[in-house]
Amino acid sequence: MDRDEIENLIARVALKDRKAFDALYDRVSAKLFGVCLRVLSKRAEAEDAMQDSFVKIWNHADRYQANGLSPMTWLITIARNTSIDRLRTRRKGHQDIDTPGFELIAPGPSPEQSVVAASEAARLSGCLDALAENRGAAVRGAYLDGDTYADLAERFQVPINTMRTWLRRGLLSLRECMSL
Amino acid sequence: MVAARVAIPARVHEPVTLSPDTPDFDDDFQAAEFALGLAEGADLAAAQQRARTDNTFAAHIAAWQERFVAMTDDIAPVTPPRRVKKAVVKTLFSTPPIPLLDRLWVWKGLTLASLVAAAYFAFPLVRPTVEVPSEIYATQLKGEASGLEVLAVLDPARGDLALRRIAGGAPEGRVLELWALLPEQAPVSLGVLPEGDVTRVTLPAQFIAQISQLTLAISDEPPQGAPQGVPTGAILAVGAVEEL
Repeated sequence: MDRDEIENLIARVALKDRKAFDALYDRVSAKLFGVCLRVLSKRAEAEDAMQDSFVKIWNHADRYQANGLSPMTWLITIARNTSIDRLRTRRKGHQDIDTPGFELIAPGPSPEQSVVAASEAARLSGCLDALAENRGAAVRGAYLDGDTYADLAERFQVPINTMRTWLRRGLLSLRECMSL
Repeated sequence: MVAARVAIPARVHEPVTLSPDTPDFDDDFQAAEFALGLAEGADLAAAQQRARTDNTFAAHIAAWQERFVAMTDDIAPVTPPRRVKKAVVKTLFSTPPIPLLDRLWVWKGLTLASLVAAAYFAFPLVRPTVEVPSEIYATQLKGEASGLEVLAVLDPARGDLALRRIAGGAPEGRVLELWALLPEQAPVSLGVLPEGDVTRVTLPAQFIAQISQLTLAISDEPPQGAPQGVPTGAILAVGAVEEL
């Protein structure tokens, strides 16, 4: 994907340019739908999540510049978070979890903003696989399957606090692995 | 299946004591939990609050989102059915906000009446039957931060637009400048707005031709207006033009 092109489209969407919104949709909807389908499995729910995601994209495009993410990360994170939200609502029959991370607004430039390059992120898979004791699977479970600490603890048959310690060590290793 | 299973405590709180050997990782771990959606209850509320107010923490979250998004790299794109886009467009654009219509119906009536009168007196012999143009466009220019709110009614037949300021104004020592925007074109200035609440501005022909794609914006500028013909100040209010 051409980063500049998508960034430019988001900037125009922030100015309520419908033609740009149309073009942005055509450009990224297939990737986002893939993500929604991966998280939700059910097609009808994935379609609803897509609809919600694009409404958020239209309404919040003006916040994009402030958060320092690459444009595809911003868009995919909205689709992923919206889908996880919907998944948890389905599982629990109630809605008590805000879309995680979605409201993120960094009010100004920050030191780490440009540290994480896309190429660095692409190494994540290898680093996740290198993690010990299913910790990589736990990270994937949380990110792609919306697993909570309770879900993960049950899946790996450990107490929640142990799970949390695992994950903490796993994420620390992950950060180190990816910064090599 | 699996033997000793310790009872799972209801709470997950145990922030600092988890790993005393790496206390400098605490913030980053909190950010990662938030980005993964693992933060719950009071932790979640605290993280949300920090994300809004703490730049460094927000940057940690962004860095994790950037790392985690690689998990979607091997997810194949799937073209969504057309009905999804239609539903999005319908949700966002099909119903103009009611407050706008509420305020405009009187104005629209007045505008039409004045058109009828103007046309009648201007061309009583040439045009004995007065044609009332059926299309009127309008928008409500708003900005969340500025508090500025301006109604604009565009009359393609007359080639002008009428503006009425509802709320807000120019910051001290600055003026409000109106801009017309078309897709993929540079903004064109329609001039500095006078101080009063109501004003009329001529709308250049190229905008009338593409009126349904027109967006209006108001920026704050130095007293003489934007010097180079491009907006230099903050965009205080924006509105996409819609047919009434």
